[in-house]
Amino acid sequence: MGLWEAIRMGCEALQANRLRSALTILGTVVGVVAVVSVVSITQGLNRYVSQEILSMGSHIFSLDKYGFITSNEEYFEAARRKDLRSDDARYLQDHLTMAAAVVPTAHYTVDVLWEGRQAKDVALVGIGSGYAALGDEFDIACGRHLTYQEEATRRRSAVIGSDIAEELFGAVDAIGQRMRVGRESFWVVGVLKQRGAVLGTSRDNVVLMPITTFESIYGSRRSISIIIKAASPAVYEACQEEAMLLLKLRRGRQPWEPPDFGVQNSETYYAFYSRATSLFYLGMIAVVGLSVVVGGIVMMNIMLVAVTERTKEIGIRMAVGARRRDIMMQFLIEALALSSSGGILGVLLGALIAVLVNVLSPLPARVEFWSVFVGLCMAVGIGVVAGVYPAMRASRLAPVVALGYEK
Amino acid sequence: MSILETNNVSKQYQMGKVTVNALAGVDFNVEQSEFVAVMGPSGSGKSTLMNILGCLDTPTQGCYRLGGTDVRDLDDHQLSRLRNREIGFIFQTFNLLPRANARQNVELPLVYAGIAGAARRRLATSALDRVGLVDRTDHKPNELSGGERQRVAIARALVSDPSLLLADEPTGNLDSGTGEEIMRSLNRIWMEGRTVIVVTHAEEIARHTQRILRLHDGALVSDDRRPGDG
Ligand SMILES: Nc1ncnc2c1ncn2[C@@H]1O[C@H](COP(=O)(O)OP(=O)(O)OP(=O)(O)O)[C@@H](O)[C@H]1O
Ligand SMILES: [Mg+2]
Repeated sequence: MGLWEAIRMGCEALQANRLRSALTILGTVVGVVAVVSVVSITQGLNRYVSQEILSMGSHIFSLDKYGFITSNEEYFEAARRKDLRSDDARYLQDHLTMAAAVVPTAHYTVDVLWEGRQAKDVALVGIGSGYAALGDEFDIACGRHLTYQEEATRRRSAVIGSDIAEELFGAVDAIGQRMRVGRESFWVVGVLKQRGAVLGTSRDNVVLMPITTFESIYGSRRSISIIIKAASPAVYEACQEEAMLLLKLRRGRQPWEPPDFGVQNSETYYAFYSRATSLFYLGMIAVVGLSVVVGGIVMMNIMLVAVTERTKEIGIRMAVGARRRDIMMQFLIEALALSSSGGILGVLLGALIAVLVNVLSPLPARVEFWSVFVGLCMAVGIGVVAGVYPAMRASRLAPVVALGYEK
Repeated sequence: MSILETNNVSKQYQMGKVTVNALAGVDFNVEQSEFVAVMGPSGSGKSTLMNILGCLDTPTQGCYRLGGTDVRDLDDHQLSRLRNREIGFIFQTFNLLPRANARQNVELPLVYAGIAGAARRRLATSALDRVGLVDRTDHKPNELSGGERQRVAIARALVSDPSLLLADEPTGNLDSGTGEEIMRSLNRIWMEGRTVIVVTHAEEIARHTQRILRLHDGALVSDDRRPGDG
């Protein structure tokens, strides 16, 4: 019996057993959809977060009063610490030997108004004038950056995020406009490039102003964080050591004592992220595992239920001259046709879900090639085992025994 | 030359602690172009014997030679070929594929013989024509009467032109009129020069044949040859 003959016969059998075929495909689809969509979502998220964190630049770190707080005790301990002030930043600026930029930042939330239009809950950032060196998230779309002069003279100049530009000014050119930030009046000197959203929170709903201006309005008695960029990746570690040492000494601690301030860098962010999401991943793995098992069981079950009927069929075929390999070939082709069509359907559906999640939810999803591969292999693997194994056993029977199986 | 030869052929089934002797040492020869009836009460081992003769089953002891070859020496490939080309088997319960139509059922042996396309169709159609079912080619088994199903099964058994035709109670599920018709078909098949062995309960059916083997409790108790053409 030729391959074509076997394929033609397989297709006939699948057509003749439409319900069984459909159910088997359904079982495959369930498993594959779960693998592809869940992997796409978790991997998309993971990739996105690591990109975000690593785009901070591998040689940037920041110092602040609290660091990553993970418990109440830590919080109360940290709250008793001395604040970090902008003169600390200035001190580090003057004494660090391996830093390319030292940028103090302070944060507040206000509403911003222009000609009766309002942007609510805007992230207000007082920032040192060296901020442009920190990375492309501070790139300007139009206008200019805040300058050192503006910092020195506490000018009421502001660089706004793209959301603010759109909400307040719309089609009007924002540069040179006067807007209200809280109770104060500011000139818009620049608009940032669009930065996009992290997990559904826009990062373009932001107003930057000189740190000095910020402190003259909101007071200098709040704790700031100091972002430091090392002169090069090579001196990154050394630069962190130097900054910590200088700050410890300045805060009256011994070099060997632990710091009474927090140090954050892409690694600490990443460690925090990993810790926070490991449970989530475990859950995802459980979901995937469960669907694979369910899909697999559904497939196996349907194929096994069919086996008594099929055993008689195998008996008939052997009685008229089918060899064992003819039987195996027929069942292999049937199983491959069912499982690969189920697998392909599952991949398409899983990809569709990933795309929908991407569009409709803040979770970034990305179809991973390897998940498609794993999904297809799984489908075909389970299909072949579930479809061919019973056939293999049946084809080993004496024809008369196989014939004895009544439907 | 004997087309087939059994030598102390036995078949035992182990049912828990009890051993059932379905066949207890059967010896006989069948010559080319004989027409043989196998008779005996229910449970006497007729089907067991036929299944062994048709290479659908193997004896637990003894030797079965088909065309001079001990079938124990044959592998799956060679046995399949025998079942495909040399033996036509007709079952009491027809054993047609329920989802295939009459023509597809008749084509099945040709599929495994590697005959494809128009030739296969033509052979199947002409086999159905010989049993008078050429206008039923597209019917599924459940759309045919019992007699028609058995004629489809006969067409399937004959389509690859085997020299040996085995029929295990081919009329058992049919009324006597239809059974008579089936026996006339078998008679014609024998007249064409084939060896035919048929299991039956009915003496009037056995009268069509030249020779009657009688089984009792798995043993051959008589072997009557009768002159004449049945
Ligand atoms: N698969 C089996 N397992 C156990 N015993 C079996 C099996 N097949 C047949 N037998 C036993 O072997 C004996 C012979 O059975 P067989 O089917 O050959 O009888 P038979 O002459 O064809 O009867 P019938 O006229 O009713 O068809 C019986 O006693 C039967 O119970
Ligand atoms: Mg019987």
